[in-house]
Parts: sequence; structure tokens; C-alpha cells
Amino acid sequence: MAATVALAQLPVPPAPARRINDYAGALTPAERDRLEARLAARERQSANQVVVAVFRSLRGESLEEFSVRLAQTWRVGRKGLDNGVVFVIFLDDRKMRLEVGYGLEATLTDAVAASIVRDVVAPRFREGRLADGIAAGLDAIEAAIAGTYTTPAGRPAGRPAVPGVALVGLLLIAATALPLGLMGLAQARRSRRHGWTGGGRGWSLADPGDALGWPGVGVPGAGRPGGEDRDTFGAGGAGGAGGGGFGGGGASGSW
Amino acid sequence: MNRSALVGVVAVVVLLFAVAAWGVGISNDLVTREQAVSEKWAQVQNVYQRRADLVPNLVETVKGFAAQERTVLDEVTRARASVAGLKVTPEVLNDPQALRKFQEAQAQLGGALSRLLVTVERYPELKSNQNFLALQSQLEGTENRITVERMRFNEAVRDYNTALKRFPGSMVASFRGFREKAYFEAAPGSQTAPKVQF
Repeated sequence: MAATVALAQLPVPPAPARRINDYAGALTPAERDRLEARLAARERQSANQVVVAVFRSLRGESLEEFSVRLAQTWRVGRKGLDNGVVFVIFLDDRKMRLEVGYGLEATLTDAVAASIVRDVVAPRFREGRLADGIAAGLDAIEAAIAGTYTTPAGRPAGRPAVPGVALVGLLLIAATALPLGLMGLAQARRSRRHGWTGGGRGWSLADPGDALGWPGVGVPGAGRPGGEDRDTFGAGGAGGAGGGGFGGGGASGSW
Repeated sequence: MNRSALVGVVAVVVLLFAVAAWGVGISNDLVTREQAVSEKWAQVQNVYQRRADLVPNLVETVKGFAAQERTVLDEVTRARASVAGLKVTPEVLNDPQALRKFQEAQAQLGGALSRLLVTVERYPELKSNQNFLALQSQLEGTENRITVERMRFNEAVRDYNTALKRFPGSMVASFRGFREKAYFEAAPGSQTAPKVQF
């Protein structure tokens, strides 16, 4: 029965212990730790919980459906406050979404979330700067919640048409990134340190028990210097986290 | 009356009491599930209301740039009005016909809005207007919320209906007057292309 469900829908990984979850192996450990530390520090200040998940491919699944399912399964944010945000990124599909918990919908409105995706994150992703884009997006999210976010000036907020040169550039990047990515994936599979690696082509459904083992995630503090238990979140995490509710608020975008 | 008869009476009373308690338990369980359906229904109405509230502002903004698109603007306004005129008491849930009507009216508004957004593609100035962009993303977000809340409503209804139809529930339900509730269906109105007036 579980198998039929899994075939119809992209499976959501089990609730992780970290805030930065790179199932695509696209971030370096240093980048990941830096982002993680920033998010953890902010969470201690504001109690709002922001979690990032980077994946390879949607495999035809609807981004919005998957995103809200993931947010509800991971229960990001605190119970009663519903103050969680999930930033989901699909590299192969070039799609992303900010899923905003009920409690933050008033400040991180759909319009603001859309602007963050379109004006802050997408331009950086287009240049291949994944970690930069995530970091800038996280800053913008924080500013939005504090009420200080403004649309970056100097360019129209509408998505510019992709000129031919940029398109060629993108294709070139894709052409070089693909073999590199495949190499990286193979390496990751050997080292089993970079999150999702099963099947070598994203989500393998053949053997959920083993292939969906999510190596490298779900282990509190693993591989993270000074990882303290109170810095983790999720079912096993402390501090009242892991009960936030989501109702489909937020915004999607592509790059 | 001898002693064994007394024991028999006591046993029967105890048994009756146990059966009654069991029935009350099942009845309460159904009430809880029914309550969950009502809660989800309230959420569904919230998000539909949220969409309806966006419409006047959206229409005004589009008018500022594309006043000549009267047909589609009128259509949106009319659909908005018919949605606002809907009676949405919880009774709707017991009546598949009423729910379908609600759903059709909402689908009409949804269809009109998506046609408006298609029309707007022809107006680059409007498309780069900050106010419009904000409204557009709010509308998208709201459509997504509608999908989510409808799905959760359907799950709650399925949960309730299943409890209602399965054995102990079905027995209790029949004499406590619990009724099966209607689901949202994939709206036929949203699939077929609507009539365009010229």
C-alpha cells in the first residue's frame, strides 16, 4: 500500500535534524555549515524557524503539492505559533518555493514572498550562485518578517525576458554542470555524506527501505562542529519546535 | 424472587449499560469527526473569501491599464457578485446538490480570473506594475491555499464518511441521524472552456 502511494507522489524525506538539507549534494560542507549556523542563531533570537531543502528533481510532481506536504510532514515552526518557513529548491527543474506557515502569513505575505523569489533569489541562481541565493533569500525572509524588506531597486520588478546571450550562457552552464553534477553524485554515493544519493538519478522508488535511507541527514549534529542538541529541530529536536501548520501560503518561482 | 434471578437482572442491567456506553462512545467519535469536517469547511470558506476580497482591487488595477478589456473585467465582477450572494451554511455539507452549486460558482470566478490574467499578458506596462505584481502573487497564493484547504476538507469528509459507513458507526449513525457528507469534486466547470460573449 505504501508503495502505491510512493509511486504516485514524490516521497517526503523523514523530518531532518538540521535546517539546511541538501539532498542534491549541491552545497559544499562549508557553505552548508555557514548557512546552518546563521539560521540557528536567528532562530534563537526570533523563535521563527526557517528550513531549507535542496533537491534534484520533482520527477513530474507538482511543486506546490510537494512543498506543502513536506512542510506539514516536517512540522516546521512551533506548535500554536505556526511560525515556520520552508524554502524548497529543485535544481533540475529550476523551480523553487517559499512555503509560509500560517503564523507568518501576515508579514511574509504572498506578494513579499514572490518578490523575494523573483527579485532576490532568482537573479543569483541564474548566475549559478546557489549558496549566495539561499543566503540572500534568508536575509530577505528575516527582513520581511521584521517588516523592513523592500524590493531591490534599480531594476523593474517584472521578470526580464531572457535575452539570447543569457540563454546561451545558461545552456553552457548546464552543459558543464551536468557532467560535473553526475561526477559529484557518484562521489557522494561513495562517501555517503551528501544526503540523497539513491539510484544515482534522484529519487529511487525501487527499495524505499534502503534507498530512502537519507544518509547524512536526520542525525542531530552530525558533521557539524559544535552541534548542540538544542540547535536541532523536528520530532527529535528540543525547544518546542516541530508543530507548525501550513496552509499553502507563500510563492513559487523559477530561474 | 430468588437469588439467581436477582443475579440475572443485575447482569442484564450491567450489559445494557455497557452497550449504551459503547454506543455513546461511537456517537461521540462521529461528532468529533463531524466537527473536524466543519472546521475544514470554515477554512475552505476563508480562502474562497480571501480570493473574493482580492477581486475589486485587481479589477481596479487592471482597469487603469486596460479599460478596454471590458468583457473579461465584467465577467470577473459578475462572477464575484454571484459568489458573494451564495448562502454557505453548514447545511450545504449535507446536500451534494448545494455543494455542487457552491463549487460551480467558485469555479466560474476562478475561470474568469484566469482569463483575466491571460488577457493581461498583452499589457507589458501592467505586467511590470508593482501593485499588479503584488496582486497577482496574492491571487496565485490564494489559489494554492484553496487547493490545499479543499484537499484537507475532502480528507476530513472521507474520514467521517468512512466511520459512518463501517459497522459500529453505521448502526449508531442510523438512529442518531448522522448523514453522509459531500465531497468537493474536480469541478467540471473548471475544465471546459467557458462561453465567451462577443
